[in-house]
Amino acid sequence: MLYVDQIEPDLPGLAPVPSPADGEGDCDQLLRLVAVGDQQAFELLYRQLARPAYGVIRRVLRDPAQSEEVTQEVMLEVWRTATRFDPAMSGAATWVLTIAHRRAVDRVRTEVAAAEREQKTAWADVGPGDEVADLVETTLDRDRVRRCLGALTEAQRQSITLAYYGGYTYRQVSMLVDATLAAIKSRIRDGLSRMRDCLGVS
Amino acid sequence: MLSSRRSLHALAGAYALDALDEGAERKRFARHLRRCPSCAEELRGFREVATALAFAAAAEPPPELRMRVMAAVRDTRQLPPQAVPRWRFHGWLPRIPASGWLPRLATATSAIAIAAVVVLSILLSGTRQQLGSARAQGQAIAAVLAAPDVTAVTGPVASGGVTTVLVSPGQGELVVSTSGLAALPAGKVYELWLIGPYATQQAAVRRAGLLPPATAGLTAPVLASGLVAGDKLGMTVEPAGGTNQPTTTPILLLSLPART
Repeated sequence: MLYVDQIEPDLPGLAPVPSPADGEGDCDQLLRLVAVGDQQAFELLYRQLARPAYGVIRRVLRDPAQSEEVTQEVMLEVWRTATRFDPAMSGAATWVLTIAHRRAVDRVRTEVAAAEREQKTAWADVGPGDEVADLVETTLDRDRVRRCLGALTEAQRQSITLAYYGGYTYRQVSMLVDATLAAIKSRIRDGLSRMRDCLGVS
Repeated sequence: MLSSRRSLHALAGAYALDALDEGAERKRFARHLRRCPSCAEELRGFREVATALAFAAAAEPPPELRMRVMAAVRDTRQLPPQAVPRWRFHGWLPRIPASGWLPRLATATSAIAIAAVVVLSILLSGTRQQLGSARAQGQAIAAVLAAPDVTAVTGPVASGGVTTVLVSPGQGELVVSTSGLAALPAGKVYELWLIGPYATQQAAVRRAGLLPPATAGLTAPVLASGLVAGDKLGMTVEPAGGTNQPTTTPILLLSLPART
């Protein structure tokens, strides 16, 4: 016996996931236009997402020149591959920013001079967005993110920020904070779950 | 086995933050992800948290970057869509009036993709008898493709892969093809269902056919008829030969366009 109303909510991927970012809907629309070659739509999408993309790349890479270079690569990749964006998997902003973080991390991990990065700086600077003063219209309320990060345990917050903003693997995080791999894995996962609930991501 | 699966589940957070070691571990989790709908769902939520973290770190890039990117965009060709350009349909068709040119373009693209699969399936069928039945089915499918009201819808399958459906509400027929579905163990089959809007009665769930085994990741199109307004297309994994009513949780539930 099958009751649609009972099974439907359990099915992942069939309904678009509401995004925490207010501008996400716009970005989805824009990306569809980009996929059919609309350069103007791309410019609008750039205006929406270049700052978070550059911001997160900068967090991971630190070096402004390299960050700029990687941001350019990411944006061009968005243009080239917009035809393959799958809205069933994520919203457009999430798609773009996933690429941005990925490329930043790629750069860090392939760099021979990775060891030279100042681990301590990444470590100390765990609060999001401290160095950005004039954010006119972040699509996402930064205070809310900060508040949700603040609601985590110190250990969870540390693991998440080291991994995401620091660009470290969980293995590296475990060495940095001297905890077991299993502990780091669950800190990241539990912390993200709490963040998700706190941010109201469905 | 169980503990290794559980430890794979635990990697979802690290994977979402790109914090898995490059290489084997990351690949292993990515493979696992295709077979684990709950992991995929968890990952989706985590990625949105990561998006929030990115927005929280937003910083103004140098203004000349925009000019450089736009100049590069003008000189860069975009990739063609993948074999099944699913994004073109998902959540798109219902919002745009049918008179727009884009949905029709999308339908045409998908029709071509499906027609290619039909040809492939005919070429692949071995015996003369199979060829005959493939031809007959091919003709029935061609009739759906040629219907004036044909519409394409696609949806992801929860266990991986995507389903593309060409529907003719007027003819009450639909053609279902899939790509990238997870391979099933021996003795199992993907079964399709038409699920009526009042599915509280058993009769509202009707068998709509079994998917043939995939060739190169694609299944040959399956023709189903008897579509009524409000039907959804469902898919479950059932014992070989299929069942009369679904016995497992659907891995696909796709709204189909009704007659306009």
